[in-house]
Amino acid sequence: MGKRLLGVAVVGLLVAVLGVGCSTKKKGAQAGAEGSGMGEEGLGTGNSLDKYRAGTLGSGEEGPLKDIHFAFDSYELDESARNGLRENGNWLKDHTRAKAEVEGHCDERGTVEYNLALGAKRARAAKDYLVTLGVSGDRLTTISYGEELPLCHEHTEECWAKNRRAHFVVVSE
Amino acid sequence: MNRLWLLAVVVANAMLAWVPVSSAQVKGSIIGPTTRSYPVAIAPLKNLSGPSAADVATRFADIVGRDLILSGYFKILDRSAYIEKSEASGYTVDSINFDNWSVIGALALVKGAYTLEGDNLTIEARLFDVYQRRQLDGRRYHGSVTELRRMANKFADEVMAQFTGERGPFDSRFAFVSTRDGKFKEIYVTSADEGDLQQITRNQTLNVSPAWSPDARSLLYTSYKRRNPDLFLIDLNSGRETLLSQRPGLNLGAKMSPDGTKIAVTVEDEGNADIVVLDRNGKVIRRLTDSWAIDVSPSWSPDGKQIAFCSNRTGGPQIYVMSADGGAPRRVTFSGNYNTSPAWSPKGDVIAYVSRSEGEFNIFTIKVDGSETRQLTQSAGNNEDPSWGPDGRYMVFSSSRTGHRKLFITDAAGSSQVQLTHGGGDDTSPAWSRWLE
Repeated sequence: MGKRLLGVAVVGLLVAVLGVGCSTKKKGAQAGAEGSGMGEEGLGTGNSLDKYRAGTLGSGEEGPLKDIHFAFDSYELDESARNGLRENGNWLKDHTRAKAEVEGHCDERGTVEYNLALGAKRARAAKDYLVTLGVSGDRLTTISYGEELPLCHEHTEECWAKNRRAHFVVVSE
Repeated sequence: MNRLWLLAVVVANAMLAWVPVSSAQVKGSIIGPTTRSYPVAIAPLKNLSGPSAADVATRFADIVGRDLILSGYFKILDRSAYIEKSEASGYTVDSINFDNWSVIGALALVKGAYTLEGDNLTIEARLFDVYQRRQLDGRRYHGSVTELRRMANKFADEVMAQFTGERGPFDSRFAFVSTRDGKFKEIYVTSADEGDLQQITRNQTLNVSPAWSPDARSLLYTSYKRRNPDLFLIDLNSGRETLLSQRPGLNLGAKMSPDGTKIAVTVEDEGNADIVVLDRNGKVIRRLTDSWAIDVSPSWSPDGKQIAFCSNRTGGPQIYVMSADGGAPRRVTFSGNYNTSPAWSPKGDVIAYVSRSEGEFNIFTIKVDGSETRQLTQSAGNNEDPSWGPDGRYMVFSSSRTGHRKLFITDAAGSSQVQLTHGGGDDTSPAWSRWLE
């Protein structure tokens, strides 16, 4: 119990430092109610949701693995995407203890639910290709954020192209 | 510990009761769907309970007026033009000077009175045909003063019944996703007049796809608050929340069957989205789709026997229909290469959906047999997320036509499109409840 409370306190402190600011906004009853949700989330791993919450998505440090990109309503890996995956695969083969989460993202166009499913396909396509390159599948997890976490917010093709991506987060080394 | 902070939802407490004040004779189409802006005067209620009885009089009139404007049939005459003042006049057919209303252009008139004793509110409201100088309908409502809004919404639905032959859809609620309080997508609930807007989630992550239980007391939604997109059910009265589905990956776009016993939801298997049916405890009863393609966004037929959904099994996303017991799907949409978000009408005859053409997203309807495609929106930003009202005549959808995404209400023909939500941020993914019980 003490450990759990400490965990909640550490997360709370981290959130406050990152400027998410929920601790200052919440009144007693609210904080108690959803405080348990905060406690379950653990320390930030630097994935896109953490960065979004911290306000650093699209401006923070990118990490050792490169984003790859997709065409509209597609999860096919073009030559550029395969080249990017080969580079990422080489890094993963050099860092044999590293595990990575593959995030699938979409641009803002289209339907929230369909895009969440499309993001899952993109993440899976990237993972499967890394596995064919010799990276063990149990080192790679996937998650879709659909169109929910764009890097770029303008309504232009240039911006949309950046957002249609698979992003790779090293979760442990 | 997982209980949300108090959600003061009055809807289900149903202290509220109504009785007809007199038998209404005329039910029919005084105005048809092509008639617009039928002029109605809605007088503030007369106060029968002595001085200092809050703002009940004007709030009732405001909410009824707001509902009637959303219907697209009516225009509400400006209160400052009313000659006959509520406090100095009667509210029965014999005590109203109809000349005072016809001269300002009213064809219909709402008058009434209220008494407020402690928290106990009684409202008597009547609808008159000004030209024929007769009462069309009268209702008396008893309940807590906190149920004023429901009394007004119920009366607006009765006014619509008198003028259109069908009960209106406004004794109901809307759930939606909004960024109005910052960058986070949280879930909110409101009545049509926005006066009782409530924030339901406060987890500061991503919350998507709210959907009502048929009794309008609970919401299904998907949240990233435990990092994985899990499916939750929240009881709006108690705030009690249940984690229904937490498979790795998507647990998305859940819809409860019309009888409330089952839940159709998209789950993910190795990156592939398929639709399964759960019982109320989240246990998988059956797998509905099992293809390599994306299958998402299930929508039940009103008899619960079929499910419409979106699949890209033939290339781009299209709308399909299949038996809720399983079997082979039948493709419904063939026009266009991007058709998503099916919403089966409560009347059963058509499916609303979103179609992309020339870079624009618009709301369409199509008959369940695949005939009679109808476009409801055009040249007004992107229009998405259709959800039918309880009467099957209206639907709510999100539109970027004003810049930010906001919710709009349209009739099934698309001929009347009125803005429902206002304020900052984007409002998306609306879900319109059934009538409150």
